[in-house]
Amino acid sequence: MMMVDNHLQTQTQLQSEFQCWYPVLRRFGPDDPFFASGNIERELLAKQIALELTEEEKQALRNFEDDYREVFCPIVGCEATLRSLTEFEDHYNARHTSSCSVCSRVYPTSRLLSIHVSEAHDSFFQAKAARGYPMYECLVEGCGEKLKSYKSRHQHLMDKHNFPSTYEFFKKTRLSKKGRVKKNQRKQKHMAVDNNEKEKEEEESSGMEVEEETLDGIISGVSKLTTSDSSPSVISFGRRHTRGLTFVPRAVQRDTKK
Amino acid sequence: MISADCHDYGFYVLHDGFGNAAVQRRRHHAVSVAKERREAMFRTKRLCTEGFSNDMDVHVAINGDMMIEEEPSVLEAQTSSAVEELKLAIASKGIDTVQKKVNALRELRRLLSRSDFPFVEIALKSGAIPLLSQCLSFGSQDEQLLEAAWCLTNIAAGKPEETKSLVPTLPLLIAHLGDKSSLSVGEQCAWALGNVGGESEELRDLLLSQGALIPLARMMLQDKGTTVITASWALSNLIKGPHSEAATELIKIDGVVDAILHHLKKSDVELATEVAWVVVYLSALSDVAIDVLMKTEIVQVLVDRLAASNTLQSLIPLLRSLGNLMAGDAYTTNILLDPSHETTDSIIRSLSKCLKSEHRFLKKEATWVLSNIAAGSVTHKQLICKSEAVSLLLKLLINSPFDIKKEVAYVLGNSCVAPPKEESGGVPSLLLDHLILFVRNGCLSGFIDLLKSSDLEAARLGLHFIEVVLRGMPNGEGQKLVERADGIDAMERFQFHENDELRMMANLLLDNYFGETYGFDDE
Repeated sequence: MMMVDNHLQTQTQLQSEFQCWYPVLRRFGPDDPFFASGNIERELLAKQIALELTEEEKQALRNFEDDYREVFCPIVGCEATLRSLTEFEDHYNARHTSSCSVCSRVYPTSRLLSIHVSEAHDSFFQAKAARGYPMYECLVEGCGEKLKSYKSRHQHLMDKHNFPSTYEFFKKTRLSKKGRVKKNQRKQKHMAVDNNEKEKEEEESSGMEVEEETLDGIISGVSKLTTSDSSPSVISFGRRHTRGLTFVPRAVQRDTKK
Repeated sequence: MISADCHDYGFYVLHDGFGNAAVQRRRHHAVSVAKERREAMFRTKRLCTEGFSNDMDVHVAINGDMMIEEEPSVLEAQTSSAVEELKLAIASKGIDTVQKKVNALRELRRLLSRSDFPFVEIALKSGAIPLLSQCLSFGSQDEQLLEAAWCLTNIAAGKPEETKSLVPTLPLLIAHLGDKSSLSVGEQCAWALGNVGGESEELRDLLLSQGALIPLARMMLQDKGTTVITASWALSNLIKGPHSEAATELIKIDGVVDAILHHLKKSDVELATEVAWVVVYLSALSDVAIDVLMKTEIVQVLVDRLAASNTLQSLIPLLRSLGNLMAGDAYTTNILLDPSHETTDSIIRSLSKCLKSEHRFLKKEATWVLSNIAAGSVTHKQLICKSEAVSLLLKLLINSPFDIKKEVAYVLGNSCVAPPKEESGGVPSLLLDHLILFVRNGCLSGFIDLLKSSDLEAARLGLHFIEVVLRGMPNGEGQKLVERADGIDAMERFQFHENDELRMMANLLLDNYFGETYGFDDE
């Protein structure tokens, strides 16, 4: 089957491009920082009698070595400098991740997270939107514009803020077979059996979630992208297993080859 | 009150009447001294505060002087006057010249031996060096030579400029290392030279060019006493490089290798420690030295010592020598460290002992050695996996400081991957039973933690191991495990990472294992 072949081929491709684990001997020079704390301990032990160090002094001397280790945030565009690994972890968790408590999608800012929560999980939001109120906020901070639908917001982003047409704020999740089976069972309990149920599943993961562009549209959009951009030209937040990349999944490339 | 023993001191007792100003001055001085002390701690130079008892005929005053509380300014004044005394003594003529010189030297030496306030600077300013040089002239009395060398030792134990001031005296100190000198004199000169060598590469090169290596090496060939200990320490400061010539030259000197083995087998802890440090530098710097050493029984001797050792002091260099020897050469690990041999078992046991130590760096270095053993043959990897080391390592992966986690990562990863075959040049095959053992014991979350750190090397290790899991775990279990352990999110962090290699690796993995087809494959 197409999918199986594809899987195999990508495996070999991966192996030729990916530098796999290769066991090698690792050697350090005598004054390498790797040995620094051992060297310090040597000197402490040799001198402690002569200098009559107290236990506190010794510990302070050991800690002195660990003190200051700058960490630069590696996320492109973020210029934060943190003073230790712990600080970096805090910074990263605060600035570069925030996940939805309902569906676990990750967003890089709390503002986008709250927009997502309203749009995807808030029935009040849905109700107002259904009555024609402009509820869909522009994603660009400071713009303030509100649109009446997901699609019209998308249009606004393209027209006013030059977002690419392939930009996806809310990407559908791909459930594993097990997940789909479970959902299927749940649906059978709560809803009338529908012949088109399978199709419906493809389009909405829950009654409250938002309408989406089709997969084909995304594929054609993504295939038009070049890889020369240094910044990701397809940014999609709320990603889980799928994400917009300058690297196109091999499966997609195949489909668009003509 | 002046006590009988210290009549030649002429000290001043501190009166209460000095009041607050004195206290403040002392406190201020104490702060700068504390800082100086702290810096002095990390230096590889050592202050000599006690005399030797090598020769019976040289009466050296052991430093039993009371450390009397005195004003720094008072001690400073005493130092400069001691130098003055010495100058006068040298200039004087008569029968008691030698005694005068010795007395003056002794007084200066005592002031310079104080570990709280050594007044090196003022001694130098008062012109001590040329005077001390004169006291080292050939044919001088042993006691004079000893005291002069002792003064120089402690001057050299100070700040860089202070150590450098010894340069004019070096040829004399080297000369007095000779076999015609008394043992104590030779040892004291060795100590002074050790301090000089410990200061900088420049000074090391100077000493080597002036021929310090051979006489110091010869001192190692002795059998009894503390001379070997001091000489070994001085040698380690002399050959430490960063270039390898001195180490290579040392190993070629007749008798050195035998002496090293001989001393390592003795039960004296201090001796074994300093000799082991020489081996550390030899093995870290010189491939020639590793070659020569590996033709002897040194590995066995080191392993035995390591197993028998329970002092931190000796553990450090014993462990590191083994580590260096094994890191130098695949030949060593694979062939000489015969997996069926008891030696290998013994090493792994000793390393496991170190893994349980409270000292962080000891755990780290022991893990490093294990990682190099794990880089060896399949049998070596199996030995590690069957030992108690494995469970200790898995715990350390979850629960230890970051630098140790990285080393553990190397051991585990190396243990899962077979040694690459020369001919095929393809991807090395995986040792599935080891991989499965580690994964079942929860190692994946440890690797993903490494991936989440900002350390590039750690992240690389994380990605490499995830690839192994994804590729190797049977029945496609790898993908589910990685997902469950939060691996996808962790990898997605690298999509916008500035490091090209990591970004590419992460995207390759995400594309290939978690692409559009993920989730549809399981039938």
